[in-house]
Amino acid sequence: MIQRLSILFALGIAFLLAHSTVAQEQGLSKSASNLEDLFESAQRSVVKLYGAGGMRGLESYQSGVAIGDGNTILTSWSTVLDVDKVRVVTYDGRRLDAEVLGVDPECELALLKVEDSKLPGFVLDAKLQVRAGQRVFSITNLFGIAAGNEACSYQKGVVMAVANLQSKFSGLRSVYRGKAIVVDVMTNNPGATGGALIDLGGRLVGIIGKELRDEQSGIWINYSLPIDVVAASVERINSGKTRQATAMTLAKNPHKASDLGLIFIPDVIPKTPAFVDRVRKDSLAEKSGIEPNDLILIVNDQRIDSQKTLEQMFLMIERGDSLQMLIQRGTELVRVQIRP
Amino acid sequence: MVGLSSLGHSQDAPQTTLDVSAPVPAAEVLAAQQRRIEAMRKASMATVGVFGTDSQGGGSGVCISSDGYVLTNFHVSSPFGHRMRCGMNDGKMYEAVVAGIDPTGDLAVLKMFGRDDFPTASIGDSDRIRVGQWCFAAGNPFVLATNLQPTVTYGLISGVRRYQYPSGTILEYSDCIQTDASINPGNSGGPLFNADGELIGINGRCSFEKRGRVNVGVGYAISIKQAMNFFGNLKSGRIVDHATLGFTVATDNQGRVVVSNILESSDAYRRGLRYGDEILRLGDRDIGTANQLKNILGIYPDYWRIPLRFRNEQGIQDTSIRLASLHQPGELEKIVEGNSQQGREPPGGPKPPGKKDPGQKDQGQKDQGQKEPGQKEPDSQEDQGTSSKKSSSDPLADRFEARKGFSNYYFNRLELDRILQLQQPRKPKLPVLAGADPMVVRFTGKVLGEETLIQAAYDPEKIHWTLGDKTDSLGVKTNWATSIQKQEPLAIALAMKLWHQWHDQGPRKLGEVTYIGQSPVLGKQGLLDNTRIVLGEVTADVYTSTIDGSIELIELYADRQSDPAEIYFDHDPQALLGELPSRIRLQYGLESRLVFELKGVEAQAFVSPADGGGAQP
Repeated sequence: MIQRLSILFALGIAFLLAHSTVAQEQGLSKSASNLEDLFESAQRSVVKLYGAGGMRGLESYQSGVAIGDGNTILTSWSTVLDVDKVRVVTYDGRRLDAEVLGVDPECELALLKVEDSKLPGFVLDAKLQVRAGQRVFSITNLFGIAAGNEACSYQKGVVMAVANLQSKFSGLRSVYRGKAIVVDVMTNNPGATGGALIDLGGRLVGIIGKELRDEQSGIWINYSLPIDVVAASVERINSGKTRQATAMTLAKNPHKASDLGLIFIPDVIPKTPAFVDRVRKDSLAEKSGIEPNDLILIVNDQRIDSQKTLEQMFLMIERGDSLQMLIQRGTELVRVQIRP
Repeated sequence: MVGLSSLGHSQDAPQTTLDVSAPVPAAEVLAAQQRRIEAMRKASMATVGVFGTDSQGGGSGVCISSDGYVLTNFHVSSPFGHRMRCGMNDGKMYEAVVAGIDPTGDLAVLKMFGRDDFPTASIGDSDRIRVGQWCFAAGNPFVLATNLQPTVTYGLISGVRRYQYPSGTILEYSDCIQTDASINPGNSGGPLFNADGELIGINGRCSFEKRGRVNVGVGYAISIKQAMNFFGNLKSGRIVDHATLGFTVATDNQGRVVVSNILESSDAYRRGLRYGDEILRLGDRDIGTANQLKNILGIYPDYWRIPLRFRNEQGIQDTSIRLASLHQPGELEKIVEGNSQQGREPPGGPKPPGKKDPGQKDQGQKDQGQKEPGQKEPDSQEDQGTSSKKSSSDPLADRFEARKGFSNYYFNRLELDRILQLQQPRKPKLPVLAGADPMVVRFTGKVLGEETLIQAAYDPEKIHWTLGDKTDSLGVKTNWATSIQKQEPLAIALAMKLWHQWHDQGPRKLGEVTYIGQSPVLGKQGLLDNTRIVLGEVTADVYTSTIDGSIELIELYADRQSDPAEIYFDHDPQALLGELPSRIRLQYGLESRLVFELKGVEAQAFVSPADGGGAQP
């Protein structure tokens, strides 16, 4: 308890100090008009995303940023993307359809592909490091406030810490556990995830993470994935890993979920997630360590976005061959191998 | 700073040590800080804490006139009924009453008593704010300020021209400002200032969702432009209403905003707008989406006449349309009653029990002992000081008057008194007939640029109109509506009668009088005072200058489904006090029908034709 308090206290000090640096960085009113112009141009790279959800506290919208040539949208990997076409709404109100290009489960990031977006893309500069005390701004469509051609919302903040989102000593339940930029204001609101964190130069320094609450203290943690983590993740996704299955040959004698002992929740919607309902006793699945309530994310480096995808995936793998799975169990990511 | 860092003694944050060793801030940073301190100091002076009469509960407000008018949220004032106390930065509590309320736009105007030199906020231009500008909110979050010093929170303009749907209530936030300056329960009704300390908005709403009722970096302020549009109306003590266009729009497949439905009874229809026409501009805002139209409409009070640009087959059309009321008569009162009976909690804390005002609660009783509008003489305006003339336990008992359709009728009386006082010094010299009552009053003039003579006269039995060799007449009460619907020039004679009687007897003798507030008038600068008089089957809106009270326009309505007769009065800038208007113009719709120069007015003793004699024709 005392340790916890002292950390909070240290953060408070960092916050106080932060403001003194902020004042210097700003040059205040002199650069104020620059800031407005900067904001106007930076928000053009941020898009509103709409997809699945809309019930039980799950939003059907989130934020994303255009990167590179503007035809790639970087966002959080979430249930919002569990649709055939993700709707992208640009700063000038255009509606584009996006396809999920690939995902990185550990960073909870996804890349979407849009055609001819005409969006200015952010540069992913892995060398851009932020420090505690630095002034940053978020650009997100939190609460879905902006619609159509309305601009996404800006919030100001100060970096409190750049540290690992560890869950060992805290009540943090996050899939992502790597390095995070923690800020002093509520950036991670509903719909904000996938949005941009920029510095005073308008450069992308992070991607806003998901909503995250410390279960012990009840405190909401407002964090972003640092740009170096993001850049590496984008590279991984682009290098072909965890892309959706493309053309593969059908196995002569393929795997079947029921033969493996996997029973899923009823497949009632077009993209029912591959959620394990039950595991048959003494089955191959049970021996491999799969448990009820596991969510199958990836099989042999191929992303599984629904039970149907998983079914198709099994059709490609010979019954005699082993397969690797990445599973989400609560907030843990678990790797399992099924060896026939 | 160094002392503080030694407290930190944390190896977790080695970077903080770097910051400590940073050099002393540059002179320009210190200067900027000094400017900010000054802006906040001045802004804090005008910031108001709103409490119940037992000093409990509360929200915020901002004083915008030295005689003590305060802008706040309707949802802040409504739990208190009509009486509250306002705490200011000088550490003093001032007794206050509610003047007008706007339940749709979540605004209320309160009036504080006790000083005539209240510190005021300077009004900024909310149209000019941009995302990324710094701003600050002042107020009474969590009812913290026991010493009445407001809490100031600094932030960014996060978004502009936001629209926030009514959420469960009718409170609608259109064209509002989004900020990440921390706005919390208790901040409601308080001011949002720009970095220079100019008032740009009234804080009122936040997005919270699952985070509980504390700020999560998303607050909304009603733009000061909208607030000032409504301020004149709110000072009237009425329950004021928002507007509707009489048509709806949809976005077509080419992304154009087109009329999808239009009422034939709407002013827009009479100005030529039809189904399928493309809307380009409303008020002073270009329209690109259906949302933008809805958004901009929200900042205007009903009855206002605002510019509309649209495109039809003939090309781009510029016109002006009158806005109709959003609610049916009586509808808002019901909602307000419902609200007050629910006993909604004040934003800052629980509502103190047993504080309900009997007048507010019981609509049935409050008309008892009500004076008729005409009973009180215009000159008997009461002293605005705090001293109570009544022995009532409430020192402000005489500053509240319940009446149907009003949040506080006292202010309606006050505003009409103000107009009449304003008119006093340059009241037109009217002909007087010693001992002659009844009389005939006759205006004479000449059509502009012609030799055609005109006469407009009235006597106790008839209204007479002569244009060249054509004459016409009407009964003193009958067939006025038909004449206006037919768009006859005779309406001038009706207006001249009203003009004369207003100055001769005072408006309160003419019919049921209501001060509406302030509205723009085509071709006139700024806003004008609007007073409505029900004259039998016709309703007159009388627009007077806020500077000298002179009557600038009389609109005569047969109903709200047809164009009124508009009679404009022009005054020669060189005219001496007491001179008649020099030029009078009749307009229907947007079309001028007749302009004439007023030459004089005379009075004669009236002898009824039935008595044999008869007046001169």
